[in-house]
Amino acid sequence: MSRAGRSVVYWLILSPLVLIILFPFAVMISTAIRPRAEILVFPPVWLPKEIRLQNFVDMWQAVGFGQALVNSVIVSAGATALCLIVAIPAAYATSRMVFRGRRLFRQFLLVTQMLSPIVLVLGIFRLMVKMGLVDQLYALVLCYAAFNLAFAVWMLQAYFRTIPKELEEAAMLDGASTFQRLWMVFLPLAAPALGVTATFVFIYCWNEFVLALTLLRSNENFTLTFQIFSLVGGRYSIEWDNVMAATLLASVPVAIVFAKLQRYLVSGLALGAIK
Amino acid sequence: MGSSRVDPIRGRRREAGQLVAPYILILPSLLLAFWIIGYPIWDLTDMSLHSVTRFGQLKEFSGLANFSHLIAEPLFLECLIRTLVWTFAVVGGTVLLSIPIALILADDFVGRRVLRVIIMLPWAVSLTMSGIVWRWALNGQSGMLNATLYDFGLMKQPITWLATADTAFPIEIAIGILVSIPFSVTVFLGGLSSLPREIFEAARIDGASGWQRWRFLTFPLIRPFINIVLVLNFIYVFNSFPLIWVMTQGDPANSTDILVTWLYKLAFRYGKLDIASALSIVMFLILLAFTVVYAVLAMRNEREAG
Repeated sequence: MSRAGRSVVYWLILSPLVLIILFPFAVMISTAIRPRAEILVFPPVWLPKEIRLQNFVDMWQAVGFGQALVNSVIVSAGATALCLIVAIPAAYATSRMVFRGRRLFRQFLLVTQMLSPIVLVLGIFRLMVKMGLVDQLYALVLCYAAFNLAFAVWMLQAYFRTIPKELEEAAMLDGASTFQRLWMVFLPLAAPALGVTATFVFIYCWNEFVLALTLLRSNENFTLTFQIFSLVGGRYSIEWDNVMAATLLASVPVAIVFAKLQRYLVSGLALGAIK
Repeated sequence: MGSSRVDPIRGRRREAGQLVAPYILILPSLLLAFWIIGYPIWDLTDMSLHSVTRFGQLKEFSGLANFSHLIAEPLFLECLIRTLVWTFAVVGGTVLLSIPIALILADDFVGRRVLRVIIMLPWAVSLTMSGIVWRWALNGQSGMLNATLYDFGLMKQPITWLATADTAFPIEIAIGILVSIPFSVTVFLGGLSSLPREIFEAARIDGASGWQRWRFLTFPLIRPFINIVLVLNFIYVFNSFPLIWVMTQGDPANSTDILVTWLYKLAFRYGKLDIASALSIVMFLILLAFTVVYAVLAMRNEREAG
């Protein structure tokens, strides 16, 4: 088949899927920009009579978007930093050093990676009650860092293996300590891998739902994802224009970053999973 | 510097340092994992073996009584079966759709880059947000799905998709498949791009048909990737909470509850902590079994690769 013919056939085959994928985005945009009077109508229509961008401004106020945004940034940045600080030395050890129990450690990581917070959520809640951390953002920072640890170590060690050993050996001959080698020679070389890993941990924290639902109590502590859910969950009247404007505003930046970085995740996953 | 290299005492100290160093490096990660993940596992195990009050106080040791209470709950079997249906339908549907999609996206055609971005889009939006948007799109009165069907004359009465037991669960499965496709396609694309091009050329020259090339070359070669996608998806989907929770919270009348949503209700809504802890442990063991399967598969790949 010619390239042109192939192109037509491929697009035709995948067109139903493309429509279904784009459908929720169209719904988000179409609802976010319409006046409230045009929302709960039957039969519903795709195009509103009036495009109302003021919705985004109103929503920001009504939803408390700013505070939730700040909370999400604090939690995600804090958890990402903690996770990397703990994961870097572990990944360095497993990728560079031979020691008894290395295999066991990697298997242990694998098990923690497979556990989703939902299975342990009752135990985690009790732990946080005991430590007096319920309704505090620290609780989320600790949990997110712990549940991303395995992923971070896995990603980092895959990249670390690709960095040539000779540079560190040279530094060792010059009398540099383990710490100096890690800090001054190795980490600058690993910077791109750190950036990619940090981004994925950050996005996980940004999107996380179950733990925020369980551990947060008061509105002013809600993360963005949970705040938007709370506009929908357990309410009699839902202001869908606000909800869709908020979903749109919360999703688009993450979607763009994700789209740009996704190929790194693939290569990292492939390295981690296959090797 | 030169003198230190021959100094036997410093040399030995450095050796000892080399011996301890890896353990110091992995220590923080072990501590964090044991604290936040290990302790809750221990706590849940402990709780599942005792009688528990509504407020979480442990009473006398009760052996496996909590587990037999769990099994005696009529909803347990119901949710277990629904979880299996949910998991097999979503994982099966995802893999069956993802393979042809990946084969198409790996080929060369006009607009491939655009199509790749579109197929990956659902991955970039969080499950919670997807659930919220679909819940609105499927709204019985004013949802845009109804609007579209109405515009094309396919519907006269509005359908309350998520409030009807017959439609709610199949729709959730379909959306589950939709959001799982990008990850699987990505792994398959990675697998396909790693295949040596020459043998496909050779097969073509030898007159192998498209189907034969798939059946005897592509499929066996990407088999390890299919295995890994199956196991990873199984674990993700089995654990998947936000989609169902956001769209229906397991309702109407528990008809869309799977184990994770029922577990959440047991623990935080019904206050049945004894049964909830037993269920947590059962699910932990199921996941552990799958992790072992994954580890064996991954190790077999490792051995084959090197």
